[in-house]
Amino acid sequence: MAVLLKLGVLCSGQGARALSLRSRAVRPAFVSAFLQDQPTPGWRGTQHIHLSPSHQSGSKAASLHWTSERVVSVLLLGLIPAGYLNPCSVVDYSLAAALTLHSHWGIGQVVTDYVHGDALQKATKAGLLAVSALTFAGLCYFNYHDVGICRAVAMLWKL
Amino acid sequence: MAALLLRHIGRHCLRAHLSSQLCIRNAAPLGTTAKEEMARFWNKNTSSNRPVSPHLTIYRWSLPMAMSVCHRGSGIAMSGGVSLFGLSALLLPGNFESYLMLVKSLCLGPALIHAAKFVLVFPLMYHSLNGVRHLMWDLGKGLSISQVQLSGVTVLVLAVLSSAGLAAI
Repeated sequence: MAVLLKLGVLCSGQGARALSLRSRAVRPAFVSAFLQDQPTPGWRGTQHIHLSPSHQSGSKAASLHWTSERVVSVLLLGLIPAGYLNPCSVVDYSLAAALTLHSHWGIGQVVTDYVHGDALQKATKAGLLAVSALTFAGLCYFNYHDVGICRAVAMLWKL
Repeated sequence: MAALLLRHIGRHCLRAHLSSQLCIRNAAPLGTTAKEEMARFWNKNTSSNRPVSPHLTIYRWSLPMAMSVCHRGSGIAMSGGVSLFGLSALLLPGNFESYLMLVKSLCLGPALIHAAKFVLVFPLMYHSLNGVRHLMWDLGKGLSISQVQLSGVTVLVLAVLSSAGLAAI
């Protein structure tokens, strides 16, 4: 965003277009991919504004992560009715995986937003990874040795 | 006439000269990467000790904002619940049925049980429905303020109704 603002100061025409794009499109990763290193027409010479690192591996990975988060969300939306209609071990284990991954990524976003300081954030993320791994292990254990997630919910609702 | 023309040209040149200087002054030095820019931005932000974004205390509350906070809140709460469930499956001695029997033996009234079911299912329904709303935004649909307001109210009404229905089963 700071870079985009700077761009707006530099050349208002280009900047205004960039900002309108920013407000219209919702995927920051997409925007950054779209705007990367455009040669600005008003400028003499071959100066570039660096909006993303010249090698785009970081931005690509972020974009892939963004897409994966959405895919898991949609999967989870489908798995909940599937668990009601067809309670079986496939749905149990899929639920265990999707629930854990979705929470792990979600809480990871919260940590990124609210935990500041490099060391503290790294420590928190490590703790989160440990908790998520234990949760996944626990849910799999429950699916294997106990009644399984779908049947557990059904039994609870019969109370 | 010639003087006017000369003045016009002179002014034009001066302006071009000044504006290009202005550009150079504000431009990032050549060869900086986005990462360095970000680092500089964060260093400045940390040293100025301003409230960190996203901060919730400086804006007037609106429905979409409150719903966004609740989306996170319900997500964190349910993550905690799922983790607690997984960890207790690993650590607690009894099986699921034994704990259900324990709850049954408490002879809780039906009103209390339905209320408890509502408390359990409402965050799930809210988070799911609002999640669909977020996915629609991700597709670039329904982003105008009036649409955001309308979809917010729709999600709230549907979440309450569906949760009440599921709790009554």
